[in-house]
Amino acid sequence: MSSKVVEETVSSWSPKVLAFVCNWCTYTGADLAGTSRLKMDPNVRVIKLPCSSRVNPLFIIKAFERGADGVIVSGCHTGDCHYSTGNFHARRRFAILHDLLHFMGVEADRVTFAWVSASEGNKWQQVVNETTERVKQLGPFGGFGKREGGGPQ
Amino acid sequence: MTHSFLSHQGFAALVAELLAANKRVIAPVRAQDDPEQVDYMPIQKFEDAAFGLRLPRRSLKEFFLPPTEVLLHYRQTKAGIEIREVPTEAPPQVIFGATPCDAAALEVVDKVMGWDYRDELWFGRREATTIVSFLCSLMDSTCFCTAVGLGPESLRGSDVLLVPADGGYLAHVITPKGEALLQGHTAEVPAAALASAETAQSEARKKVENNLADIPAELSGWLAANFDNPLWKTLALRCHGCGACAAVCPTCHCFDIVDEHDSADSGVRRRNWDSCQTSLFTLHASGHNPRQSQSERFRQRIQHKFSIYPSRFGEILCTGCGRCSRACPGGMDLPNLLGEFVTLAQTEPEVSGQ
Amino acid sequence: MKQLQDLARKLLSDGTVNVVIGYESGPRGIRPAFITAPEQADKLVFNIHCVQNLATYLNPRRKQITQLGKVAVVVKGCDARAVAGMIREKQVERGNVVILAMRCGGVLENSGTDTDLTADTVSVRCAGCTDREPKLFDHILGELPPEPPVNTRRTDQIAALEKMTAAERWNYWTDQLSRCIRCHACREACPMCFCVKCTAEKTQPQWIDPSATPRANRAWQTMRVLHQAGRCVDCLECERACPEHIPLGMLARYVADAVEKRFDYVACEDPSQAAPFGVFSPSDDEEFIR
Repeated sequence: MSSKVVEETVSSWSPKVLAFVCNWCTYTGADLAGTSRLKMDPNVRVIKLPCSSRVNPLFIIKAFERGADGVIVSGCHTGDCHYSTGNFHARRRFAILHDLLHFMGVEADRVTFAWVSASEGNKWQQVVNETTERVKQLGPFGGFGKREGGGPQ
Repeated sequence: MTHSFLSHQGFAALVAELLAANKRVIAPVRAQDDPEQVDYMPIQKFEDAAFGLRLPRRSLKEFFLPPTEVLLHYRQTKAGIEIREVPTEAPPQVIFGATPCDAAALEVVDKVMGWDYRDELWFGRREATTIVSFLCSLMDSTCFCTAVGLGPESLRGSDVLLVPADGGYLAHVITPKGEALLQGHTAEVPAAALASAETAQSEARKKVENNLADIPAELSGWLAANFDNPLWKTLALRCHGCGACAAVCPTCHCFDIVDEHDSADSGVRRRNWDSCQTSLFTLHASGHNPRQSQSERFRQRIQHKFSIYPSRFGEILCTGCGRCSRACPGGMDLPNLLGEFVTLAQTEPEVSGQ
Repeated sequence: MKQLQDLARKLLSDGTVNVVIGYESGPRGIRPAFITAPEQADKLVFNIHCVQNLATYLNPRRKQITQLGKVAVVVKGCDARAVAGMIREKQVERGNVVILAMRCGGVLENSGTDTDLTADTVSVRCAGCTDREPKLFDHILGELPPEPPVNTRRTDQIAALEKMTAAERWNYWTDQLSRCIRCHACREACPMCFCVKCTAEKTQPQWIDPSATPRANRAWQTMRVLHQAGRCVDCLECERACPEHIPLGMLARYVADAVEKRFDYVACEDPSQAAPFGVFSPSDDEEFIR
């Protein structure tokens, strides 16, 4: 594509970010952000799950498959999990997923892992806005073909 | 069939001309992941080709039946379901440097592809493709093309067979397509070329015919009669059921059809390579599987290739390329097994099953 | 080797086992052997060509083998880790398998073509082996050979990939995975892939498309490697089985290293060791979490 066409496409593009959040902490925190009228980028679509440990790495892969440019995964702070230990298990899983995504070429800034509690409306606002900004900088996910600027192998 | 002579320069010029006309040209090239290996790939210039190096790891099958292909697009609208089928005409392509076993395989599979239903996608590509084979010089101890009625000089499935001769190649021009391809690039056959080609052909045969004796006609009947022979229970214990053999096989052609949606109301229907060696292949929706273990599934492979297909189409569904044996991680060895079956068929034709 | 052959003969004649799974010389080199009669025990060999991980044959789905009865299996230390994993995950009962462990000094990468163990010919997985003297066994045999030479090809490859940009790494894997034809040979050959219904075969809903498309191939390989995290013993059966020669072992090794680095966990020969994702530590790394 010519750079002019890329520019035009990029300027009219707005990232799609999918957020997998736990019901007890992050979802409530996001709700607080909303009722507090905190200004947030409108790019994030929220999927509510009972616990961060419900997040199967497949969800994140599927999100990118189906058009997400970025993903947020968020749950309770460790020690605060409604199910006691869910987020401890999730933390292990996410760590390895994070490392593997990095190795396979997904930019680290596309996937944000966070702990957001029910009272952290401000933190949710920060997570949403910063993730959206980071993904805007990276550009569209671009699908599963080869990346431009991928350089010689 | 006619003969003509294609010089080295003539060959290079022919390929260059096709490429300049934006025709798709496929030839053996050094593999990207391992320069010691060879794959059939489209080339951009004559120099990319690596003729006479090694048997390509994969067969020509993927150029006629791709590992995955879209059959149709569907979209649900208020007015109903819109279906858009893919075109069955294919752009013209030429394959240079095909091995006779890979070329013959296409003709063997044509039988089932045109049997009770004409597979338009397969034949669209077959009709659009001209195949130029070389007299095979790539055989090793795993090949057994002569045993299945073929050979390194086989003409089956090819439009032209090139045999190395002084200064170029003796061209066996087998079909009108082959003749049209070579038009204007060939010369008169030099006096000695025909004789030296025959020598080269019989020398090539000698290199492979000792690997496995010709498979006799009675094998097909013996296999059918010995479907329940207890030997099947222990023959394939080391087989993983991985399907690598089917993937590399030039004559395996089974496929699965799936629908994949892109959104809630649209998607594609695809057909994908499949293999009878996988446990899912015959799994019913009820959960019952008529081929419960790898023993039955391996039996199916042998029966299909050496008994069922021959009795239905008069062709062995195998061209002796040996790839299955080279690819198998479990050490199954088809030519060796066939030799054992043939011995049994000839010495114990009345083995009782149970 | 005589010690192994004699032991196999004894185990079969006195009825301890019905089949000894080991290695034999086949028409195309060393291959798995299934010895069911004492007089066949002479076929058993053990040498640097014995690359296959025979633990995979203990998979309970392989009915043609389970039907034979009680099993003895010849393992190297690395293979014993796979047996331990299968016991750990309740696929095999410890009492139902007789483990014949072989002291090992490394195996060849290409057992068909190479003859000597050198830094170029030794398998990449032998580097840094801590199981030359296996710890899980019913019988342990053989003399302990010297340490294997170290083949750095794979660590070099991983290091080279780490130095690339994300886009370059993406393109590398897109290229490699473009050859994937979704035959699932990697899964069938793997001792730890024993699920009766694989995640790739679930259809309601279909999480992973079965077709060999760039997106589906990436989803498949990513999930398979993730499901192997902390369980894979690096036997490289997946890579040997792959008819498209995709460097699957590199992905498996990378994830195994990540699990080891983060959680100080390696799939070991002790079946009572907990599964890595079944436990956690309150002090697990969370530097990647905001």
